Amino acid sequence: MRAGWKLWALLPVVVIACFLALFLAKNNYQVQIMFRVALYAALALAWNVVGGYAGQLSLGHVAFFGIGAYGFTLFAAHSVPNWSAVFLAALAATVLAAMIGSIVFRLRGPYFTLATIAVAEVLRLTARNLDFTGGATGLDTPALFTGKTSWKMFYFAAVTLGVIAFLVNVWVSRSRFGYQLMAIREDEDTAAAVGIDSARKKLQSLMISAFLTGLGGALYASALQYITPDDVFHIDISIRIAIITMLGGAGTLLGPIVGAILLTSAAEVFKNLFQEGQLLIYGVLIVVVVLFLPEGIVGGLRRLFERGRKRQQLVISSN
Amino acid sequence: MMDFLQACCDGLLTGALYALIGMGLALIFGVMRIVNFAHGAFLMAGMYVTWLLFDKFGINPYFGFLPAGIILFALGYLVYVLLILPVRDRSDFMQILMTTGIGLILVDGAQLKFGADYHYTNIPLKNQAVHLGQISLNKASLLSFAIAAVFIVGLRAFVVRSRTGQAVRAIAQNRDVAPLMGINVTRIQGISFALGIAVAGIAGGLLLPALYVFPTVGDDYTLKAFVIVVLGGMGSIEGAAFGGLLLGVTESLTSLYWHNEWALIVDFILFLLVLSLKPSGIFGRQRT
Repeated sequence: MRAGWKLWALLPVVVIACFLALFLAKNNYQVQIMFRVALYAALALAWNVVGGYAGQLSLGHVAFFGIGAYGFTLFAAHSVPNWSAVFLAALAATVLAAMIGSIVFRLRGPYFTLATIAVAEVLRLTARNLDFTGGATGLDTPALFTGKTSWKMFYFAAVTLGVIAFLVNVWVSRSRFGYQLMAIREDEDTAAAVGIDSARKKLQSLMISAFLTGLGGALYASALQYITPDDVFHIDISIRIAIITMLGGAGTLLGPIVGAILLTSAAEVFKNLFQEGQLLIYGVLIVVVVLFLPEGIVGGLRRLFERGRKRQQLVISSN
Repeated sequence: MMDFLQACCDGLLTGALYALIGMGLALIFGVMRIVNFAHGAFLMAGMYVTWLLFDKFGINPYFGFLPAGIILFALGYLVYVLLILPVRDRSDFMQILMTTGIGLILVDGAQLKFGADYHYTNIPLKNQAVHLGQISLNKASLLSFAIAAVFIVGLRAFVVRSRTGQAVRAIAQNRDVAPLMGINVTRIQGISFALGIAVAGIAGGLLLPALYVFPTVGDDYTLKAFVIVVLGGMGSIEGAAFGGLLLGVTESLTSLYWHNEWALIVDFILFLLVLSLKPSGIFGRQRT
C-alpha cells in the first residue's frame, strides 16, 4: 500500500478541482469539451483494466460503448425509467463481454485484437440493418438531464463515472486480482504454471471494463441526444480510447487521465486547424509513443523518477 | 439456378482480387509475424496513385496499376526500415499499435491532401460485358481478374522457386536459424514487407474501375484481408488465395439471397467462427 494515504488525499482535491474547472468555462461549447475530456478519461480508465493491467489489446471496446448507447435508448423506449435503463444497458454490455470473452480469450495476441474488432463491426453493421435500431439513420435518445444546465450536469455525471473508474483501477492495481492480471500480462504461460486461471481472469477483467464502458456509452448517447450506428459503433472510438491510455501510460493510475486531457484537447485544437483528417494527430502520436515512449508519459516519468532515486541510494551507500 | 451461377462467377471475379490482397498480408505475416493493420490503408494508397495517374495524365488504370505497385513497393520498404524494423522484436501489442498508427497516418493524410470527396474513374470497358450463355461478365472485372490471376501465379512462383523466395520461406520456418545459413534477415524481411504492400497497392489499382475512391475506402479491406488470411491459415500463401476466392463467392451469394449490406456481417461471423473453431484456418495445417 505504498503511498496509499497520498492517493486518498489527492482524490477529493482532484474532484474539487474538476468542479471548480467549470467556472473557467466561458460557454456551453467549452463545457462540452470538458464533458468529452471527462468521458474519455473514464473510458480510458475502463480500458486500462484490460489493456493496461491484463495487457490484452482490445480494439473493439466501442462494442460495449455502442451497446451501452443503444441499450439505454432502447430500454428507455420500452418504458424503463431512464437511470435504470443506464444500468441495464451497462449490464447488457457486461453480458456481451462475457460472450465475447469466452470466445476470444482462448485466442492470443493478434487473434484477440482481430476478434474484438470483428465483433464491434458485426454490431455496427447489424445496427445499420435492423428496423428497431433505426437503421443507418439512428435513434433519438432520452434526456437524462434537461434545461439550461444540462451540459454541466452531464459533465458532473462524466466526472462521477471517471471517479468510479479510477477507484476500480486503484482496487485492481493493489488487489490479488490485479496482480494476477499483471502476471498474465508479463508472461501468460508462467502465470498459468503458477495456477492462475488466465482465461477466467482475463474474462473478468473484460467484464468489469465493459460495464464501465457501457455506462459511458449510455451517458454519451443521452448527452448527444441522437445516435447512429456509424457514430457510437465507430472503430475510431476504440482506437482513441486505446491511444489515450497508451499515451498517458497503460497500467498506471494517472496515465489514462493525463492521456485524456492531452489528447482530447490536442484533437480539439487540430479540429479547428484542419477540416479534414482530424485523426492524423492520433496516427502520428501512436507512432511516436510506440517508438520513443512505450511506457507512456506517466510510465516514462515514473521510470525516470525511480532511476533518480536509485542513483541517490547508490551514492548514499557508497559513502 | 442461373442467378446462382451468375453470383458465383461474379464472386470469383472479386475473389481473385481478394486473393491478391490476402496473399500480400500472408506474405507479411508469414515472414515477419507482423500483423499489418495498415493493409487496407496501403490498398487505398495504391488506388489513389492509380487514380491520380488517370486524373492528371489520363493513364488508363489498367496500365496505371503497375507504377502504383512500384511506388507502393518503395513506400513499403521505406516504412519497413523507418517504422517496422524498430518494433520487429517487440510485443504483438506494440506492433499492432504501430501498424494501426501507420494506417491512420495514411488514411487521414489522404483526407488532408485530397479531401473526403468520392472520385469515380470512368473507362469505356466498365460498361461492356462478355456473354457466356445467359451469364454476363463485366469486361473491366474480367480484365482485373486476369491480371490478378497473373500476379497470384507469379507471386507463388516467386516464393516457391526463386532464391529470394527460398530465403523468405526459410525465415518463415525458422528465423533464428536462417541467418546462420547466410540469409540477410533484415533485407529479406524488408523485401517481403514491401512486396506484400506492393501487391495490396496493385489490387487497389485493379479495384479502381469498380469502386469510388475516397480516403477510408481501404478500411473494410484490412479486416477482409485478415478474414481471408485466417480462412486460409495464417501465413500460408496458397491458403490465402483460396480464402480470397471463397470470401468472394460467399459475399456474392449473401448479396444474392439476402442483401449486400449483410455480406460484410457474414464475412466477420465466418471469421469469428473459424477463429474460435479452427484457428489454423480451413486450409491451414495444424501448427504446433
